[in-house]
Amino acid sequence: MLEAIKRFFSDKKSGKIARDRMQIVLLHDRLSIEPEVMEKIKNEIIAVLSKYMEIDHQTISVRVEQGKDYAALVSNVHVKRVFRHGQTQPSNAQ
Amino acid sequence: MPGTTIVITSGKGGVGKTTTVANLGTALAMRGRSVVLVDADIGLRNLDVVMGLENRIVYHVVDIIEGRCRIEQAMIRDRKINSLYLIPAAQTRDKDDIRPEDMKKLCDHLIETFDYVLVDCPAGIEQGFRNAIAGAHKALVVTTPEVSAIRDADRVIGLLEANLLKDIHLIINRVNQKMIRRGDMMSTEDICSLLSIPLIGVIPESEEVVISTNRGIPLVHEKKSSIAAAFKRIAGRLEGENIPIPSDNHEGGLLGMVKKLLWNA
Repeated sequence: MLEAIKRFFSDKKSGKIARDRMQIVLLHDRLSIEPEVMEKIKNEIIAVLSKYMEIDHQTISVRVEQGKDYAALVSNVHVKRVFRHGQTQPSNAQ
Repeated sequence: MPGTTIVITSGKGGVGKTTTVANLGTALAMRGRSVVLVDADIGLRNLDVVMGLENRIVYHVVDIIEGRCRIEQAMIRDRKINSLYLIPAAQTRDKDDIRPEDMKKLCDHLIETFDYVLVDCPAGIEQGFRNAIAGAHKALVVTTPEVSAIRDADRVIGLLEANLLKDIHLIINRVNQKMIRRGDMMSTEDICSLLSIPLIGVIPESEEVVISTNRGIPLVHEKKSSIAAAFKRIAGRLEGENIPIPSDNHEGGLLGMVKKLLWNA
């Protein structure tokens, strides 16, 4: 009932509502990344980080996190050791 | 110089793909181009009826692919324009009866003799879609200004790009300027910014469309129709003419600012 009253007095036109909803819907749709692609992203992140630090390949996590109106790529990396400046390790063949 | 294969697709059904193929194809042929329309909606053929050529079907696209006829035997010439042809779909087969390679081979053969091959893509994103896009160099994605059509168009654009078809333009169909002015419909600018592909045309909503399909005469033959004019402008833009797309009339008076959006900006 309260929702109906709110809608009745709402200034926001349905066209604007539709546009705002679509922005979020499309963001979520486009972020539904296939597992193979996620795996590639993860491996490439490992390769880049491994040039600068020693990381734990086994426990690294990369995932998409989605809330009501946001979406994020979240990664958790256990760092064992950071190489000294300028001492980048050669990256592994990709 | 070989011609160009263009697939007209949308994801969502009923947004105007077949109407677009019929009218755009006719408009291009009216400019003197040789055009063949290919109905890739196997099992649910419609392009023949919209073009008024349903009585002339002898062979169809699956007959060509399965070798039961030559391409020329399946091609139906338009009643009014000599350089316009239709290859109809099969009605009693289904979309899994042909493969993408078959469609690509057919389209590649057709562009040797035609300036334009327009492929009417079925709704959906399954085998029928994969077949229809297989031979295409360009894609026109048709949407209407409502949420499900836009969402499906976005998905289709993603799939086209994943299939390395990057020359993609947008057609927004069934636009109602009164509703946009009232704020009850998403505007052209809203939709373009959501889908992020270049716009090639905007077609207004009109009763004329049903009337023209009732008759089986594409609307572009009708000189006074605003829809005919819109499709002719799209044909011009496809041919490289720089025809600006008028922006929507915004709230704030009848004489709202008319910004000219260059179609390839």
